[in-house]
Amino acid sequence: MEIVPQLILNSIIAGSIYALIALGFNFIYGATKFFNLAHGVMAAIGGYAVFYFAKTLGLNLYFAVILGVALAGIVGYGLDKFIYLPLRKRKASNMVLLVASLGAMTALQAVIAILFTSRFKTFSQNIGTQKLFEVLGGVITQTQLIIILVTALILAGLVFLLYKTQFGKAVRAISDDEEVARIVGINTNKIIGYVFFIGSALAGLAGILVGFDTGIEPTMGLGLLLKGVIASVIGGVGNIYGGVLGAFLLGFVENFGIWKISGEWKDAIAFTLLIVFLIFRPRGIMNK
Amino acid sequence: MEYLIHLAILFSIYAILGVSLNLVVGYTGLLSITHAAFYGIGAYTTAILLTKTGVGFFNSVILGIIVAIALSFLIGVVLSKFKGDYYALGTFGFNTMIFAIFLNWQNLTMGPFGIPGISKPELLSINFANNFNFLVLALIFLGLIYFIARFITKSPFGRVLKAIREDEKAIAVFGYNTPYFKLAIFSISAAMAAVAGSLFASYLTFIDPSSFRLMESTFILAIVILGGLANLRGAILGALFLILLSEILRFVGFPPDIAAQMRQVVYGVILILVMLYRPQGLMGEYKL
Repeated sequence: MEIVPQLILNSIIAGSIYALIALGFNFIYGATKFFNLAHGVMAAIGGYAVFYFAKTLGLNLYFAVILGVALAGIVGYGLDKFIYLPLRKRKASNMVLLVASLGAMTALQAVIAILFTSRFKTFSQNIGTQKLFEVLGGVITQTQLIIILVTALILAGLVFLLYKTQFGKAVRAISDDEEVARIVGINTNKIIGYVFFIGSALAGLAGILVGFDTGIEPTMGLGLLLKGVIASVIGGVGNIYGGVLGAFLLGFVENFGIWKISGEWKDAIAFTLLIVFLIFRPRGIMNK
Repeated sequence: MEYLIHLAILFSIYAILGVSLNLVVGYTGLLSITHAAFYGIGAYTTAILLTKTGVGFFNSVILGIIVAIALSFLIGVVLSKFKGDYYALGTFGFNTMIFAIFLNWQNLTMGPFGIPGISKPELLSINFANNFNFLVLALIFLGLIYFIARFITKSPFGRVLKAIREDEKAIAVFGYNTPYFKLAIFSISAAMAAVAGSLFASYLTFIDPSSFRLMESTFILAIVILGGLANLRGAILGALFLILLSEILRFVGFPPDIAAQMRQVVYGVILILVMLYRPQGLMGEYKL
């Protein structure tokens, strides 16, 4: 096992997870224009749902994954329906929405900790020993390979949804100008509700994949959220491709950053990258 | 009685945090989610100085203030160009990074094990190991900080801050260098938080990183938002209310671990409810 190929692989794996979070985050940001801080906790909801359905109830693993993704989506949809939508109707500022999402994140994360304790948990007994693959002189597990493939699929699916379907057209219209979209007869509140469902489901999927790769804990959403938002900002917030680009850039900078220093400093490296972008290119790579 | 004194000390510490954060969030309209970082910087400065050197408590308070001002200046220089969600994101990231430093710079902070055996203050043969004396000390600090804050908000400088909140472009046109004002109030607020941290470390005689994570910043933000934005008495009321609420949850009979999580659920929900029904808080003069 050589170091550089392994670092490249690790960067791609980390980048894929961040990209999944950033995709959902940007999708929601594009339609609503506010930083949904509750986005990260959807990952924890997805992860814990799979843990509960597969390990505690003993359901089929694939079925549990589908349920987990759906549950994260439903919670996201519910947040929009009961919190963000009433606020939007009142023309609340973005700051109000951001603080409300911060409250939702805090409360949901604590609810998970109450239900499942705050200890770190793994799915591993259900999976058995993982197959290892050797790629370009580095080692990658089966789960990690799945992570990369799933991310690529989701990106393709989301692009198709946005640019080839009626629904995508409506979402893009709302992104451009919600007022105008409503005037031409788009039911913007309904569409934004679906956007929340899809975006949150993607975060749930990311949480599930992290669960298979390493494990889950109630606060996992916080780190994922921070990475996803940093990826979005450095790539260009609200821009689907920008988020993915930012995610892989972040993955590479983090993993090559810890080549010489210890791994706990990843968060600090990510934050430094954010600051560098805030100083020199606050709108991100893709946005002018 | 001992218990009431204990609560009153906690209240004083959180009131200092609430009043100081209100200067940034309420008066200047900048959503900062990093107050616990500066609180922690004060606490760690005092803890390290009191356990490893012969520096006394009061000198450690001053050094804590200096460290907090230095760090808030560094990050503030970057953030002061921004407002709104980017400001919130930058402060969010900063809190995560400072937490990572508390956790991982083991030579200095002893990492997750925390620093035990922090001594209590002593001045002119008054020993503050007595809790009543300590309460008096904490109240004196609270009074001092309250009056400094009041002086700031009533001064011409404070009026510029409010003008920045209402319309930053307009006040910039009048020739005010707004980033300078935003940076100044951010550093002042950080210095005050550091004082609260010094009191906290010396009172508990033990600190570990878990007291200074993002959730603590959210808690302080909840104090300000619930009590009232841009109202100093509101911040004190908010601190009183949320401290009492946390204690009530303990008395209801939840086990300590669950009670801590319940506290999070409650203030998360409070943030949501305040945003939905009363975005200026109980006594606030400004809506986000």
